[in-house]
Amino acid sequence: MVTGMDDYLDARAWAVWVLAAAGLTMTARNPLYSLIILLAARLVTAEWGRAANRFPIPFWRIGLIMLLFSLLFNGLFVPIGNTVLFRLPDWPLIGGPVTLEAIVFGLSNGLLLWTLLAVFLALNAIVPVYQLVRLTPRAFHDLGVVVLIALTYLPETARHLRRIREAQAVRGLQLRGWRDWRPIFLPLLIGGLERAMQLAESMVARGYGATLDVAQRGRVRLLLAATLLSAFGGWLAMLWQQPLLGGGLVGLAGLVLAGLLWHLGRRAPTSRYRPTVWQRADTLVLATAVLPLLLVWLPWPGVDYASLYYSPYPTVSGPAFDPVLGLALAFLCLPAFMRRGQRAAPAPASAYLPDGYHD
Amino acid sequence: MIDIRHLTYSYPNKKRPSLEDVTLHIDAGEFVLLAGPSGAGKSTLLRCLNGLTPHFSGGTIAGQITVAGHDVLAAGPQTLSRFVGFVFQDPESQAALDQVEPEIAFALENAAVPPEEMRLRVEEALNLLDLSRLRERPLTDLSGGERQRVAIAAALALRPRILVVDEPTSQLDPQSAEDVLQALVRLNEDLGLTIVLVEHRLERVLRYVDRLIYMEQGRILVDNPAGLALAAMPQQQTPPLIRLGLALDWQPLPLTVKEALRFVPDDYPVAPPAAAAATQSTPLLAARGLRFSYGRTPVLRDLNIEVAPGEAVALMGRNGSGKSTLLKCLVGLLQPAEGSILLNGQDISRRQVAEICRQVAYLPQNPDDLLFADTVAEELAVTLRNHGLAPGQTAGGFDEPYQPQAVLAQLGLADLADAYPRDLSVGQRQRVALGAVTVTAPLLWLLDEPTRGLDYQAKQDLIAIWRRWQALGAGLLLVTHDVELVAHIAERVVIISQGEIIANGRTADLLPTSPLFAPQISRLFPRSGWLTAEEALAGLHSQIYLQENYCA
Repeated sequence: MVTGMDDYLDARAWAVWVLAAAGLTMTARNPLYSLIILLAARLVTAEWGRAANRFPIPFWRIGLIMLLFSLLFNGLFVPIGNTVLFRLPDWPLIGGPVTLEAIVFGLSNGLLLWTLLAVFLALNAIVPVYQLVRLTPRAFHDLGVVVLIALTYLPETARHLRRIREAQAVRGLQLRGWRDWRPIFLPLLIGGLERAMQLAESMVARGYGATLDVAQRGRVRLLLAATLLSAFGGWLAMLWQQPLLGGGLVGLAGLVLAGLLWHLGRRAPTSRYRPTVWQRADTLVLATAVLPLLLVWLPWPGVDYASLYYSPYPTVSGPAFDPVLGLALAFLCLPAFMRRGQRAAPAPASAYLPDGYHD
Repeated sequence: MIDIRHLTYSYPNKKRPSLEDVTLHIDAGEFVLLAGPSGAGKSTLLRCLNGLTPHFSGGTIAGQITVAGHDVLAAGPQTLSRFVGFVFQDPESQAALDQVEPEIAFALENAAVPPEEMRLRVEEALNLLDLSRLRERPLTDLSGGERQRVAIAAALALRPRILVVDEPTSQLDPQSAEDVLQALVRLNEDLGLTIVLVEHRLERVLRYVDRLIYMEQGRILVDNPAGLALAAMPQQQTPPLIRLGLALDWQPLPLTVKEALRFVPDDYPVAPPAAAAATQSTPLLAARGLRFSYGRTPVLRDLNIEVAPGEAVALMGRNGSGKSTLLKCLVGLLQPAEGSILLNGQDISRRQVAEICRQVAYLPQNPDDLLFADTVAEELAVTLRNHGLAPGQTAGGFDEPYQPQAVLAQLGLADLADAYPRDLSVGQRQRVALGAVTVTAPLLWLLDEPTRGLDYQAKQDLIAIWRRWQALGAGLLLVTHDVELVAHIAERVVIISQGEIIANGRTADLLPTSPLFAPQISRLFPRSGWLTAEEALAGLHSQIYLQENYCA
């Protein structure tokens, strides 16, 4: 379990790890491989996750719900397969035979969804939201801050909603129809606006936006319009069998856009508190993500790629398993066994204090 | 450091100015207290110091404001953020992020402060506010006092020369409030930071401030060192100790209990031992063996509490001790895992919330959560409709007809019956919310922090309203950190800690012995049994009368 801010690895490394794990989950549609990735995600979460970022609902309970829902959905709606367990009356949509194959396929799909959830919950538990938002380019800094505040605001809004429901309940309000929600919706809306205004005031009082250079806004808009025109012209040229001209115009638009982003990033100067420096441990996490991708996605000789796909139809049978692919996917759990000490120890906090501030 | 000349300001669409011809000069390093009733213009004046008013709020302004050598009206709040740190009343609404350290660094990141310097400044702020051990914690895990200290640290990170603080202790228990105020005193004394503070509970801050500015209706009426200012202020807006000192003509006027001790006669009357309280055969409320947990965290542990008809009981304790949870269990908003709740001898523990609340009024901490209707009168009518009741119908706890107009008159809201509730002042909104939950003529009142943000006069109004219902036989269970309110209103005090009752007794017996909750008068006359300035005055005058007539 992570205990301090200095225990964080670089958010970029974790972002790549999560994208790789999610990509592999979608590629390896075999319950045995899904299980490996699921276990890897849980092991990594257990080692690197922060208690404060834990999902409020027990993980096994979500899994059970997903498996059950997927099993029921596929079992009832897909009357395909040779092993008929029982027959439902001829009800619309769900009538007819319920087969073992449909139930097994439903379970397999449920496991896949549960694995995907485990992977993204790992990201949520390991990387603080504000570090994730820092991954946005500087040109989108304001957008990142808005997303960050919105994410911070969600739990507070949920608490506010609960408070209002309680307050209206003690006035005898019982929610029967949509009109009964007015006493809840209005205070929530007004309270939300008031809190937003208060937060905006607080941010302005703390200097938010003071460094933004707005002098060149008109020129930027003109350039953006020209870029759009260039891209549109390029697309039309390609439609009219002028690939050279079309490609050139689109390429030009891309170049101008990249330049604009760079320029806009410079216009919104910000700095980063405790910027992380890419270190060996981050490279190791990156390697544990990229290696399985290379092994699974590239055509290596002697590997049974057919085992990546599992179908219980028409008659149910066990999923195939290739040890090389299994081992490749197991690489994903290696960050769970990395020692925290591999990251260079930062200077103690007191080292940054001037004389007179030491305890 | 701060120079304001002939400042007049009106909010948009308001005819009456919120500030009128305000002239004020504050030197560097001063600790200034702004006092006055709700709606006096204190918060507006604070917002003028960093330009939030008028740059953020709009409106019309005249006059001149110079802060740290900058013309506020020309510079605006973003420029002034480097000189003026601003801490708002509600710490929850001003946090941009959800963790202590990033929240403090937020302003620095946006100001493009270099990372090395940023690290230094964050460490400074953490150390100054004693937050180092909390640096990794999510804000939602912190107590109210800790969150308020994070807000102050976040304001300090930009190294301002002035700190402006708007009612920082209004939501805090006495100990947490003291921690926050001590932090401000350290900043003022050790760093020479100029501090401008708005606070309603003057008794908490008088000992620290250099100057007191009293405002009413947008004007500065008094601006003097605290002792002189208090003598010139309306007496109903002063703390009990000051009222007593003024009534007894103590000179110089003592600001603290320590200063007042030299005026206390050695032979003040000592209270006789308390007689055993008469036991009621049927308590109005009897909750026994209540247990409640949030997840695996126990909040109430085998808790027993009773309220007799016509009795006011104050429930006190630190933030997070389980007081609000107990009230929610009593009205059915939370279901206790174990225990029984009897109202007038009837078990209500399995009843619906709406059914319970016909006989029990529960006023939550934030009155705005209740208010949504277009008029004040409609707020009361909605409650009656929700319960399937009609004005004039007789079925209330006291067998009296429901009379919304009479309730409005009792609450002093008759003239505001057609007003939009959210346009009213804090104290008026509190009274509207109280009317909305008491229009059913309930037997029992459960009030959760009802004096948060109220001035002394509004508190007196609340006490007067309660007295009328008490005379009818209603019971009151009051959760509050306001010891002076408890001294005035409660016959009995229950102190709760970690979900358990640790003390339960008569207010006059229990409060004076508690170092944390003793009111000022009890600290001054610990053996007298007096809790309020009025009781002390009556006691001392009777003694003077006896001495003059029989002992001469």
